[in-house]
Amino acid sequence: MASVSVSHMIIFIASIVVAAGVAGVFTDSVGQLSEAVSEQGGDIASDVRSDVEIISDSGSGAVYNATEERIRLHVKNTGSERLPPEADQIDVFVDGRYEVDVQATLLGGGDRWAPGEVVRLDITEALSPGDHRVKIIVNSDEEVFEFRS
Amino acid sequence: MGFSVSGSAAIIFAAMFIGFGMFYTATSNGFEQVTDAQQDQTDRELTRQNTAMSIHSATWDTQTSTLTVVANNTGATALSLPEIDLLVDNVYISEYTTSVEGDATTDLWVPGESVTITVDSLDAAPTQVKLVTGPAVADTEAVN
Repeated sequence: MASVSVSHMIIFIASIVVAAGVAGVFTDSVGQLSEAVSEQGGDIASDVRSDVEIISDSGSGAVYNATEERIRLHVKNTGSERLPPEADQIDVFVDGRYEVDVQATLLGGGDRWAPGEVVRLDITEALSPGDHRVKIIVNSDEEVFEFRS
Repeated sequence: MGFSVSGSAAIIFAAMFIGFGMFYTATSNGFEQVTDAQQDQTDRELTRQNTAMSIHSATWDTQTSTLTVVANNTGATALSLPEIDLLVDNVYISEYTTSVEGDATTDLWVPGESVTITVDSLDAAPTQVKLVTGPAVADTEAVN
């Protein structure tokens, strides 16, 4: 009779241990999934809040400096998100080619590109005379600017 | 045997309850953040749609080397003067004085009013100006 109680006890402990293990793995997986979902929500919200506009004057004829082989663009933060004013956070394409030689200067100083502020982009690229197209991507917000050199 | 089944079932149910709580909190927070951002975007778009502005004149005074730009707020949104941007021949101008209907101290440019922007830091006569408002509604004008 005692042997039956002992075997019941062993089965009980074993089942509790297995159930606790399953519960631990389950809560851990759900915890990781929740963290990822929460992070993705924050990222999407940040993308939606980000909005920039290229405010350079394409009619002025001074967007491209042929002597210095440089395209100068002014980009205004028209969203409600503070953006990093670093050139490596801004993707620039000129006529479909990805540009690496880009300098970004936050006009007015500071280290965060607040709403309403303007960043000057200097893109070093030799362009032939004609129509050209620049595309910039900041936090998934894409803007296209067309001008004549 | 009966205690084993009910005990482990209780633990599994407790874990499911905790898991659901964590997941619900995360999804509800994420959803709320995205909804807030979308409402914010809608508000910005409404402001942009209600904003209209036109440059009335852009004149260069050769005697005093002064550029004077007069613009009218023809929309339905009060604009903030520190948020406007002036580009002269694609050069960003950061030093200028503003005056709304003769008042140089105000930062508000309300609908129906005209603002006079004076730039005296230019060396040569400019050809074109571009004025950009806070919501990025802009206008260009050739300098006379």
